[in-house]
Amino acid sequence: MVSYRSEVVSICRALFRARRHQYPHYNLREYTKRRTLDGFRMNKKLTDQSKVNEAYAEAKAQLVVLERSVKLYSLYPPKTKNIMEF
Amino acid sequence: MASKVISSTIRRTLSKPHGVVFRRHHLSTAAAAATDYEDESIMMKGVRISGRPLYLDMQATTPIDPRVFDAMNDSGINEYGNPHSRTHLYGWEAENAVEVARIQVAKLIGASPKEIIFMSGATEANNTAVKGVMHFYKDTKKHVITTQTEHKCVLDSCRHLQQEGFEVTYLPVKTDGLVDLEMLREAIRPDTGLVSIMAVNNEIGVVQPMEEIGQICKEHNVPFHTDAAQAIGKIPVDVKKWNIGLMSMSAHKIYGPKGVGALFVRRRPRIRLEPLMNGGGQERGLRSGTAATQQILGFGAACDLAMKEMEYDEKWIKGLQERLLNGIREKLDGVVVNGSMESRYSGNLNLSFAYVEGESLLMGLKEVAVSSGSACTSASLEPSYVLRALGVDEDMAHTSIRFGIGRFTTKEEIDKAVELTVKQVVKLREMSPLYEMVKEGIDIKNIQWSQH
Repeated sequence: MVSYRSEVVSICRALFRARRHQYPHYNLREYTKRRTLDGFRMNKKLTDQSKVNEAYAEAKAQLVVLERSVKLYSLYPPKTKNIMEF
Repeated sequence: MASKVISSTIRRTLSKPHGVVFRRHHLSTAAAAATDYEDESIMMKGVRISGRPLYLDMQATTPIDPRVFDAMNDSGINEYGNPHSRTHLYGWEAENAVEVARIQVAKLIGASPKEIIFMSGATEANNTAVKGVMHFYKDTKKHVITTQTEHKCVLDSCRHLQQEGFEVTYLPVKTDGLVDLEMLREAIRPDTGLVSIMAVNNEIGVVQPMEEIGQICKEHNVPFHTDAAQAIGKIPVDVKKWNIGLMSMSAHKIYGPKGVGALFVRRRPRIRLEPLMNGGGQERGLRSGTAATQQILGFGAACDLAMKEMEYDEKWIKGLQERLLNGIREKLDGVVVNGSMESRYSGNLNLSFAYVEGESLLMGLKEVAVSSGSACTSASLEPSYVLRALGVDEDMAHTSIRFGIGRFTTKEEIDKAVELTVKQVVKLREMSPLYEMVKEGIDIKNIQWSQH
């Protein structure tokens, strides 16, 4: 039985700490934080190995999309702060 | 060593979370403060706001989801061929991409990919459906049934048909916004060619009883068209269960790009229509013209995402709607929700505030991007026709505000919206002599105003 615990924990930590995973845009930044946390929580209780593999593969694919997307969105940051960021 | 320091400082400045502001240290502090303020705030149409307002107008349009944007980029850059070119790789690649998107859209609504026609948006789809079906059957069918709360494009198409000689019945709605099924049953005649009722209303957010309406249309063998632009990806939509013949869809309401939509045209039993766009016969002859590959891909990706995220988003948005309504109701009285509370899509909240003047309320809510049903947002002086169809009084219709909650809305934004709305309404009510009279117990409707 393959355990992904250490990898999952490291991905989780990287997702929340790394600047390259954070959008300059307020709404997208908050959504990404909430969705990743909830995504990990929802899959925490999976026991069926094939489902666990599926979830892990999906998470890795989403990570690639996220990094590429954040890189692109950071090239076009908003010119003024959002009211919520004051 | 120095170059490393310089490059790290540049990297740090450029990766700031908000817009880059370079402070000019050589100016005096007062002048520096003035320039900084001018740099950071926004001045538009004579109004100064300190930052970008919080966005609560999801029924008007939604921001593109970054995952959808990402799906559009690779294909948009590399697969630039015309999907209708049959002779080379570029055409084949583009055609594959469009077919993948077609399957994604079809899966969301429970249809077959052959029944989806891509268009430039829900307005074009509505026009094609209403005018196309009636023109095709113009020898035998002369009657169209629709409701008074439909979208402007459907109502305008029906008016156009009336000028051509067709007859249109505009069904009234009950005070909660729902269609009366008995009235619909009675209105159907042997020469009725189309029934057009939207699934989720864009102004008040009520969900019509689609299954029952579909059943009635099936009994009488009348094609059922619905404008589902606000419904797909938000409530579960099944064209078989609802017995739908034609359905209009729009991409920019479900976190997709603007400029693309689709029309579902049932094949079994076959619905025939006359195309609006004539040309090379693309899209089964119903919509000629080169397919906008990049936009269509975005639409497909948005539908795919919406199918996966529907449950999660619904739970989040419902929680936010309750937070908004309870937050406002705790601090204010005289708040009315327009439209049925039970049969409603949770992301749309249309509130009317009693004893408050509509335009001044909107002028004070510049830091929240909301929409309203009052005169100042429409070209004429009349309040919204949807609210009038619900039987809402003129003064309540003028103070209506539509809050649109979506996938990207946060709890803090809702709290801030509640705070700003309550502050503005309280301020206006304090100034209002009508409210004073109501507080003393005088019934406003029974006052005999004296003429001066």
